[in-house]
Amino acid sequence: MAAVALKNQLNAHIASMFAAGFLDKQFQELQMLQDDGSSPGFVSEVVGLFIDDAEKITGLIAGLLDQPVVDFDKVDALVHQLKGSSASVGAQRVKLSCEQFHSYYEAKNRDGCVMALALLRNEFYDSRSKFQTMFQLEQQIEACS
Amino acid sequence: MRTEERNGVAGAGRDQFPVGMRVLAVDDDPVCLKVLETLLRRCQYHVTTTNQAVIALRMLRENREMFDLVISDVHMPDMDGFKLLELVGLEMDLPVIMLSVNGETKTVMKGITHGACDYLLKPVRIEELRNIWQHVVRRKFSTRECVTLDTYEECNKPLSADSDYAYGQVTCGSPDQSGRPSKKRKEYHSEEEDEDEDSNGQDNDDPSAPKRPRVVWSVELHRKFVAAVNHLGIDKAVPKRILELMNVEKLTRENVASHLQKYRLYLRRLSAVASQQAGIVAALGGRDPFLRMDAFEGLQGYQAFTSPAALSSFSAHGLSSPRNNQAAVVIQGRSIHTGSVSSTTNNSIGDANKYHLSLQGNQHGKLAQGLATSLGQAQLQQKWMNEDNGDLSAILCGNSLVKGMPSTLRSVTSSTLLPQDQVECTQAKVAIQPSIRAPPASLELLEGAVGASSDPLESRVSQQGALPLCGFSGSRLPVHGPFNNNGATRLGDAFSASFRPTNDLTVARGSKVGASSFGGTIHLSPDTEQKYWSFGSGNSFRQKADESSADSLLDPKLVWSSSQLTSNVDAHHSMSQRSNNCSINIGHGARMFGQISANASPVVPQAKIDFLFSGDTSMARNASESSIPRLQTELSSSTCSFDGLLNSMIKVVTQLISLYLVYHPSYFKEQNQFLEARNPFLFIII
Repeated sequence: MAAVALKNQLNAHIASMFAAGFLDKQFQELQMLQDDGSSPGFVSEVVGLFIDDAEKITGLIAGLLDQPVVDFDKVDALVHQLKGSSASVGAQRVKLSCEQFHSYYEAKNRDGCVMALALLRNEFYDSRSKFQTMFQLEQQIEACS
Repeated sequence: MRTEERNGVAGAGRDQFPVGMRVLAVDDDPVCLKVLETLLRRCQYHVTTTNQAVIALRMLRENREMFDLVISDVHMPDMDGFKLLELVGLEMDLPVIMLSVNGETKTVMKGITHGACDYLLKPVRIEELRNIWQHVVRRKFSTRECVTLDTYEECNKPLSADSDYAYGQVTCGSPDQSGRPSKKRKEYHSEEEDEDEDSNGQDNDDPSAPKRPRVVWSVELHRKFVAAVNHLGIDKAVPKRILELMNVEKLTRENVASHLQKYRLYLRRLSAVASQQAGIVAALGGRDPFLRMDAFEGLQGYQAFTSPAALSSFSAHGLSSPRNNQAAVVIQGRSIHTGSVSSTTNNSIGDANKYHLSLQGNQHGKLAQGLATSLGQAQLQQKWMNEDNGDLSAILCGNSLVKGMPSTLRSVTSSTLLPQDQVECTQAKVAIQPSIRAPPASLELLEGAVGASSDPLESRVSQQGALPLCGFSGSRLPVHGPFNNNGATRLGDAFSASFRPTNDLTVARGSKVGASSFGGTIHLSPDTEQKYWSFGSGNSFRQKADESSADSLLDPKLVWSSSQLTSNVDAHHSMSQRSNNCSINIGHGARMFGQISANASPVVPQAKIDFLFSGDTSMARNASESSIPRLQTELSSSTCSFDGLLNSMIKVVTQLISLYLVYHPSYFKEQNQFLEARNPFLFIII
């Protein structure tokens, strides 16, 4: 059936995300929570929140870095928050790039921060597109069944 | 703790502990919050979430019994997680778990030292959450043996532990805010600058230590504590030395340390309040300490602890410098009540200020009163004390503070009255009738000062019946000496209602002592009755004081003096060295402190403030005319500077407050029978 095929596709997709390091164990935990049945749609809800939140935060960081005088403490706080949320979701790559960012803003190195932000954003966009593919597949499965 | 409520297993409702354990989750990150919530629900806990620490605090303050455990993120934009942690621990004594993606040792260490029960790293795993209930149990267990003791104490306390959770445990003088609208409490909380509420709980510094008997900080004990602190100096007071000085067996250094911490917070809060109040004063060149008054916020729970220093100094000085020309010391009572102190205070202060401003019309200096919160007084005291020529017309506007206040006020009055010695006042009513003479322009009435006109006061007092509020042994009541110009003010017994000093209210006179010894918590209201300070309205200050105005200003009950003052006012101009007797009646009972009735009129240069303490105060120091043992502060007005006035006022007030502080709330309760009737809302406008 189409649903089965879609499910297979979804699983494969998720597996590849794990393999590539986009996802980590935390995501599995969330999946288990959802699979228990008591929280349907939980994963997509949380991931959706994450995507919106991360989008906002990266935008804010970019804005801060554009200032003539960079407020590194704020940058620190934002990156910290993003790290927390990505860790909670299981978006591993994003989390790792947040950690890398840390050394740059510790050093109060604006250029370094700009670069780190660029990397971070890349990771985030990649993760986001993967997640979106995942959601589309899920929706299709939903539609089928 | 809600041991009764949830006693492990059994019972109804959420007795399937840990199932149904109520958790409050705080995290500004929506993703984390959502995940956390889901995980907690999966553990079968009952979860409430918020992304703002201030909302969390509000919820907790509204009803401490609503939650068993708090989980909070460390990094939050509106408030530092550690600060929230501290506050929750102090105020509500709930277990708090910190959460962070940052797992550095030093951060974890910080969490633990701030009192966190546990520190979890994000991403949180459900296995870790399954066991967090242990913290709740552990805490309950450690206080279990204290429960009976506590409840026992609570039963004995009059009015204590009323809705005010702050005083859950025994603490010196439980504030009795029963009348306080919760709204105020909220405001109070929100305004609390420092969130450093003294935990009402007893100092059980090691919650997890089993079988540790809780130390009950009785008035007596607290008095000793304050005396020790004053002796050492608030800055130099260390628990070890305090313990030595106190010489109380079974008191551990840790008990003292935690109590000291609370005390310090309290003082800080007072000064914060004072500074607010002092804003105006400052503008006029007010004194420093006064400026430090902040809103009471901090008072919540922790009964007003007027800064000892202020009070002591105040008391010491205030009274002893009668000669100073004191404009009426207007003490605005801020409503002090536990719990909603801050809110009230703020309100009152605000009002007071407004009021005061109106008074000010004239150049007279405003009397910064800060009395209300007594706390502020303390601060002022310190400085004021040193003023020799304090122009102090203590006009205590008596609005009875919420229960708690009276005590403070009492202490203040008593303190002020006592010239340099410790005043032992039992819950004497301190009637302070300031006969205020409007000082020549210099005296500004304090905000909400209480002008007590001698005569009118009496009548007023009697009307209000307030004075007798305190169970003050009528005999002493004060009414001391005649107000100059006005005729004798006599505070009838009724009038003196002032405070009845509890047992021995020793007011450390020593203004010199840095730390004023405030007795126990200001519980402002321990005695349930409203402590009522009847303070004459500042109207008296007004040159043209018209009685009516005074009255209007003040709460009907409180109004005193306006008429009196007026008469005195006339005398002011004379700036003579005459000392006017200002009797400030401090009535128990919550009463709104009369606003200082616009008496902005020039304060009498000489105001003598007589603080009458009825009862067994051994302090009769004043040589003043009244034979009744009353404390009189004669303020001779040497200068009409409002500074001086302020100083004197502050001194008086602080002294009074300090006196009050010493009282033990429960004692009050017994003593004051009258207060019940009074409006429990004690509002001191500063």
